[in-house]
Parts: sequence; structure tokens; C-alpha cells
Amino acid sequence: MLSFYLYLATAALLLGVGSLGLWRGPELLRRILALNVIGAGIFMLMVSLAYRPVLYGEPADSVLHALVLTGLVVAVSATAFALALLGRLLARPQ
Amino acid sequence: MWPAVLLVTLPLAAALLMLLWPRRARVLHFAVAVGLLPLAVSFLLQVTVSGEQQWFLGNWGPLLAIRWQADGLTTLLLLVSVTLHLLVSAYVGSIQRRNPLPAAFWPLSNLLLASLQALWLSRDLFNLYVCLELLGMVAVALVTLSGDKALRPALDYLLYSLFASLCYLLGVALIYAGYGVLDIPMLAGQLEANWLNAVALTLMTLGLMLKAACWPLHLWLPAAHASAPAPVSALLSALVVKGPLFILYLLWTTLAPAAFLPAAAYLLASAALGAMLFGGIAAIRTPYSKSLVAYSTVAQLGYATLALAFILRFNLPEFVAAMWLFVLSHALAKAACFLAIGELQHTLGARQVEQLKGASQTMPLAMFAFAVAGGSLIGLPPSGGFLAKWALLLGLWQSQQFFWLLALVVATLLSAAYVFRVVVLAFDRAAPTAPDFSPQRLPQYLALLPALLVWVMAVFSLPLLTLLKQEL
Repeated sequence: MLSFYLYLATAALLLGVGSLGLWRGPELLRRILALNVIGAGIFMLMVSLAYRPVLYGEPADSVLHALVLTGLVVAVSATAFALALLGRLLARPQ
Repeated sequence: MWPAVLLVTLPLAAALLMLLWPRRARVLHFAVAVGLLPLAVSFLLQVTVSGEQQWFLGNWGPLLAIRWQADGLTTLLLLVSVTLHLLVSAYVGSIQRRNPLPAAFWPLSNLLLASLQALWLSRDLFNLYVCLELLGMVAVALVTLSGDKALRPALDYLLYSLFASLCYLLGVALIYAGYGVLDIPMLAGQLEANWLNAVALTLMTLGLMLKAACWPLHLWLPAAHASAPAPVSALLSALVVKGPLFILYLLWTTLAPAAFLPAAAYLLASAALGAMLFGGIAAIRTPYSKSLVAYSTVAQLGYATLALAFILRFNLPEFVAAMWLFVLSHALAKAACFLAIGELQHTLGARQVEQLKGASQTMPLAMFAFAVAGGSLIGLPPSGGFLAKWALLLGLWQSQQFFWLLALVVATLLSAAYVFRVVVLAFDRAAPTAPDFSPQRLPQYLALLPALLVWVMAVFSLPLLTLLKQEL
């Protein structure tokens, strides 16, 4: 049971760190990374929620696993897109 | 089921094929865009005759499957998106010789349509997140088509949009934590008024309001919409911001527990008031013509938000009708405005409002399109905008909200001010800005077409209202 709360606390911590980074900025790269940290916090939360039935001896919730997988794919492509845009922005002649 | 599936998969498949064969992109694009129109019309008729339809995709059980549902509202939104998609791509085709957009426009606009259609149909919280994220990313990619100057607004738009979808996703995760269900009709009426649901709904609402550019979370919109190419701005303003608004409507009318409704109504109504006043004032003050139209989008979304706030408070059919009539008429009118302004801007070589002087003489068709669409934005009869405003006024009168009647009058005066700011200049024929080249007729007619469709909305008001299941 303790491990479950530990995971939840880590997820909340990641959310907090990410939000702080996003708020403080101001570099665009830092903001993109902060968004990733927030994303990691949310996925961590979802994975820990999937772990909840295991505490009562039932199999883990596979719907949440599928959601996290989908979410990861979306997050990776969004990050790639943001980094590509940032690259073009920095390479632009001033 | 087939029309709904085709409406999503055809543009998706077309986008992928266009990436494989870029040379055939335009032919394929127009073949698909023209083919989708009768499909959407027949689907609309089918749903009006035989009533609401729903399916579980892939025939999975209700807990695992994604539910698609098509009611009158959804089919209407499907039809409007297909129509605008066709119109805007015809406009892009017609200016192809003069100032071609990059070839990436064709697959991207198909992806935009596909994700939007999936959003209108889906009734699954997580699937809606995926649609939202897709819609946001495609919209950002479309903004970058106008070259280096649009990169910064596009990146800002992307960051805001990613943050908004993460907020929404966190809300979805919290709701799933409590109920283990993602299907909206199955969750309807189940949510209790506890603090976990309050946090979840607040996060989702925050994310959706950010995406729908509700005041004061609209800061990304004017820069992004003004720096995109004109046809793209037309798509973004007309369709993309309406997606999150639709989810917001679903969320608060079917999901939210009754105890939260007054607070949400208060929040939405204040956001709407801010949007109508400050969006209108910003549109009056801005020196650039495209920013004017973009700020007017912020102001106009305020009316729809206000109607949503009153749906939550009073549950009168007038407000539901008003909200969706605002959305539909704004979609058509704003497409016409952006296409007309884009055409004027390009032909006159003028980015500033001041330089539109004498446009009624040099480019009467485009100016007429702008004026007709502007009439609908103000709410002058006969137009869809008038119909929407009439429904809203009727509802406000019945529920005796006299402060809001006054607010609506002030907001209408503001929209009249920014529309007439352009129109008056256009009739100032003393020293008209000379066009850089002889104006093209076809793109101007294409800008006029959606404006005329707003008039047609007024003619077909009765079937429209019955389709929205509302009887006034």
C-alpha cells in the first residue's frame, strides 16, 4: 500500500516540477521540456492507478496501460514537432 | 454507420495517399472534397428521418469500445465542416497561380478535416483527447505554411495547445480513477459532487477554454490566426476553435453533477462578458485588418460561451438553439471574412485597415462579401447571426436577465463598430488604394459564397431549429 502512495506522490511531484518550469520559462526549450515532465507525471499517475487492483490481488487495469501507450505516442510526436519548429525558429536568419 | 465512417476515413486515407504521391495531391483532394459533400448531406437527411444513431467501434463491449454517436447537431456540424473544407480548398486552388501555398496544405487540410469529423462523432473522453491533440498539431502545422514570420506564433500556439490538452488529459485520468469508465453516455448522471470530480472538471474546463480561446485565455489566438495564410485562418477561426467548445458543451450538459452548474455558469458568463467587451474593443483598436478579424473571433466566441452559461443555469431550449446557431453562423461568416480580407490584402498590397480605403470601388465583390458576413457578425437580419441573437435575446427575456440584455446590446454595438470601421473606409472613394494587379473574380466569388450561405441559414431557420430539436 505504501508503494502505491509513493508512486502517487512522485506523480504529483512531477506535475508540480513541470508546471513550475512551464510557468517560469522563459526559454522555449525549457518550456517544451517542462511540458514533457508534466506529461510524464500524468502517465505516472495513470500507471499507478492501473496498479491499484493489484493491491487487492486482482490483475492490473489494462485499459489504463493502453491509454498510457497511446498517450506516449501522442506526446513523443508532439515533442518532436515542437523541437522541429524550435529548430527552424533558431536557424532562421535574423 | 457507413457514411460516418467514410466521413472520417476518406480524408484520412486521402492525406496519407497525398504524402505518397504529392503530384496527384490536388486532384485527389478535390475528388475527395467534392465526394464528401453528398455523403454529409445524405447522412444529415438519414439522421433527420430515422433519428439518432450510435455505434461501438469494432463491436467491442461498451466498457472497452469507443462510442460514436450521430444526432442532429453532430450531422449538422459534419456538413458545415465538409462544406467549408471544400470552399476553402476551392479558394486555395483559385489563387494557386498568383500566390501558391506550399504543397503541404493539401494533406494537412485533409488531416484537419478527419480529426475534426472524428471529434464531432466521438463520445469517449480519451478518444476526444486524441482528436483534440491531432486537431491542435495539424492547426499549428497549417499556421507555419506562411513561412518564417509565422514560426514564433505557431510555436506559442503549440505550447499553449499542448498544455491545454495535458490539463484535459489529467482531468480524464481523475474521472477514470473514480469511475473506471470513459464513455460519456455511460457516465451521464453518475458523477457525484465531490472534490475529486470538482478538480477533474476544473482541469478539463481550463484546458478546453484555453483551446477554444475563451477570454482571458485567448492570448495565443490573434497572433496565430493573423499570421497564418488567409485560407488557413478561415479554417482555424471557422472550425478549429469550435471543437473544444463542443466538448465543453458535452461535458457540462451531460456529465457534470447539478451542484457544480451554478459555479460553472458564473465562470463561463464572466468569461463571455470579458470576451465580448475586450475582444470587441481590441478589434476596434488594432491597426491590422487580419488582427481585426481575429479579435472579432474572440468576441464572437463570447456569445456562444454566454449561451452555454445560460444553458447551465436555466436549461431553456432557446439557449441551446442560440449557442449552436452562433457557432454555425460564425463559422460561415468568419470564413467569408477571412477569405475576403485575404483577397483584399493581397490585391491591394495592404496589411493595415487604413489602406482598405476605397475598396468598395476597386474590389466591390470582396467588400460585399465582407459586409454581408459582417452583418451576420453584428446580428443584422436576415442572417444566421440575427437568428442566433434573437434566440438568445428571447431566452434572456424569458428568464428576466436584464443586465445581460444590456451587455448584449453593448457587445452588439461594439461588433457594429469594428465591422463599420472597415465598411466606412471602403466607401471613402476620394483617394482609393490602387490594386497591385487587376482583381481576380473567382476567389472573390468564393469568398462571397459562405456569406450568402449565412443568408440562406435565415431562410431555412425552421428546419434548422427542428434539427437542433428546439421549438421556439
